[in-house]
Formats: sequence, structure tokens, C-alpha cells
Amino acid sequence: MSRWIGPIVVAVIAALAAWYGTLAAAPSVIMDRAWMRLADQAGYNRMAHTPPVVAERQTIVRPSPDLAYSICAFDLTQAPLEVMIAPVPDHYWSLTVFDSVTDVAFVESDRDTGGKPIRLVLATADQAVPKAARKVVMPDAKGVALIRVLLNNRAEIGAVDAYRKKSFCRPLKS
Amino acid sequence: MRTGFRYGIMLVVGLVLGTGAAALQLKQSFAAMGIENGPWRTGEKVGTADASVATRATVALRGLLALPEREAIYFNASTDSQGRELSGKCRYRVAGGAINARWWSLTLYDKAGYLIPNPASVYSVGSAAIPPEEKANWTVDIARQRTGAHWIAMPDDQPFELTLRAYHPSRDLLARRGSVPLPRIERGECDA
Repeated sequence: MSRWIGPIVVAVIAALAAWYGTLAAAPSVIMDRAWMRLADQAGYNRMAHTPPVVAERQTIVRPSPDLAYSICAFDLTQAPLEVMIAPVPDHYWSLTVFDSVTDVAFVESDRDTGGKPIRLVLATADQAVPKAARKVVMPDAKGVALIRVLLNNRAEIGAVDAYRKKSFCRPLKS
Repeated sequence: MRTGFRYGIMLVVGLVLGTGAAALQLKQSFAAMGIENGPWRTGEKVGTADASVATRATVALRGLLALPEREAIYFNASTDSQGRELSGKCRYRVAGGAINARWWSLTLYDKAGYLIPNPASVYSVGSAAIPPEEKANWTVDIARQRTGAHWIAMPDDQPFELTLRAYHPSRDLLARRGSVPLPRIERGECDA
């Protein structure tokens, strides 16, 4: 029996490492797949203003049918990204920027801006941006910028579109 | 048995067990997020590197691109208030009071976290639909057919989950997320 003590210790250590490693790797693996799916459907470094979610058209798990989403999958490899969010009056709206491992690099909502637009430049630490720009440093090149706008009812999407479709993301011109 | 073979076998057993345990943990709905409040499950520090490894993995798998808690807190339920799995074979009434947040919504998903097709395309009820006189005492019915003013369609027999979102939650709601009164999920009649 004593010959098995060492192997059993190895099994316990391996089990703990595999358990932790699986959970730790899940966010980056899942985000990578989601990024590819978003980029395939709408391209990247551009804002896609999607219609209200219905069961027949769901890209991301657990979507809210009460929100209008605008999504920008981005890749900063070639250049920083300029992001402008136009306010939607009298509605909850927010911008969230996620990095490649699902952590939030930036979030602000109408409550924070007092109804004013959000203007950002997303860049990696080594990328230069204009001095006047509000730079958000991303840990790596890929991520997702997501706008949420609350719909009081789904019929008002036309009125909301008139505002939110002014929002954009695009590579920063050098 | 040779020493190397014993170590090799047990290494593989350990890796399989560890990976399986992680997969099982993630499969057990939102329990891995750690905080229970009646049938509702939630976590802490969502969207940050400070969240636990289990919370981060669960959110990625079941609620990718979730907001951090200064913007929204998410409560998820896969059982009723008596601990019975939510099933499309039964009718339910969700009964609650004021939720200390800017607005809230209750949404029904399948076990994988997707909206379920239904003829009426009714997937959720939000606080904007609750009149002021009902804010402190509201009910939402979950059934095949509309049964009341506030209704979410459940078109078939499959098991399902509910997500309660509270946007711009108060400090009190965040601090007492594990104990603050949350909506009760009451099971009604079930089909055989």
C-alpha cells in the first residue's frame, strides 16, 4: 500500500490543478469564441446596432429582451480605436468595454455623464494617442465594447435608433 | 506494478477528476457563484479580476458580457422557493415588493441561458410595466397562456431558469444581496 502514497498525492495535486486550470481558462476561451462569432456576423472595429433580441436571433448567452444592444468587437493590432457614444435622452444607457478575458476595462452610464456623450480612445500600453484624448489602456489587443439602452417598450426602438445609431467605433486616424 | 506506471495512471486519474469536477461545478447552474438568497443565486465583484475563479467562469459561461455591480446586479434561479426545479410542466407566480434599484426586469431562459421561442414573443417583465400602485406588491405569472396583467410565456415542458436584473442597485441592495427580501417563486398546478 505504501507504494501508492506517492501516486495518490500526485493524483490529488493533479486534480486540484486541473480543477483550477479549467475554471481559470474558461473566460478567455469563451470570450475568444464569442469575439470570433461577433466579428463573423458584423465585422470588427465597427459598431453593429442590433435590433431588439428575439428567441430566433441570439448571439450571446442570456441576452436581455429589454435592452437595445450595439456591439463593437475590436482588434487594436493595427491602430488604437476611437469610440463615441451618443446619449439617448430620458433612457438608461451605458458603455462597457471588456478585455479578452471578460474583465471590465471601462464602464460608464448616463448617470455618470449627465447625459453627455462618451468619447474614448482604446489603446494598448505601447500605442500613442493624441494628448487630448481620453485613453483607456487595454491589456491586449482584442475585446468588445457594448452599448446598452433600456427600452421602456419594444415599440420605441425606432425613436431610440435615431440617437444610438450616431454612436460609432473606428480605428483612430494617425 | 512499475513505479512509473503507478504515477502515470494516478496523474491521469487526477487530471480527469479535476476537469470533471470543474465541469460539474459549472453545470450546477449558478451555485458556483456562492451567494444564496432563497431560490436566487448571485456573486460578488462580477466583471473584475478580483471575482473568484468560479464566479468568473460561471459568468463567462452563463452571462457573458455581464455588467459590473455598480451598474447592475444579477440574481438567477433554477428552483422555486421550495427548492423544486423550475419546469415548463408547471405554472408559477413570482411575487415581490419594491426592489431598491433604478429599474429591474425578470426574464425567463432555457437551461443553456437562451430565450425560448413563443408565439407571443414575451420573454420578460420589467419594472416599467408595473404601475405605481403595484410597485410594493407585484406579481408576475409564468404559464402557457396569459393569466394576469404581468405574464411571461413558458411554451413547453422543458426546465427553465429566471434572471432578475437590478440596474443601478442601491448600496443597501449590494451590501445585503444575500439577505434582502427578493421575489418569491411559487409553484402552481403541474401537468402530469
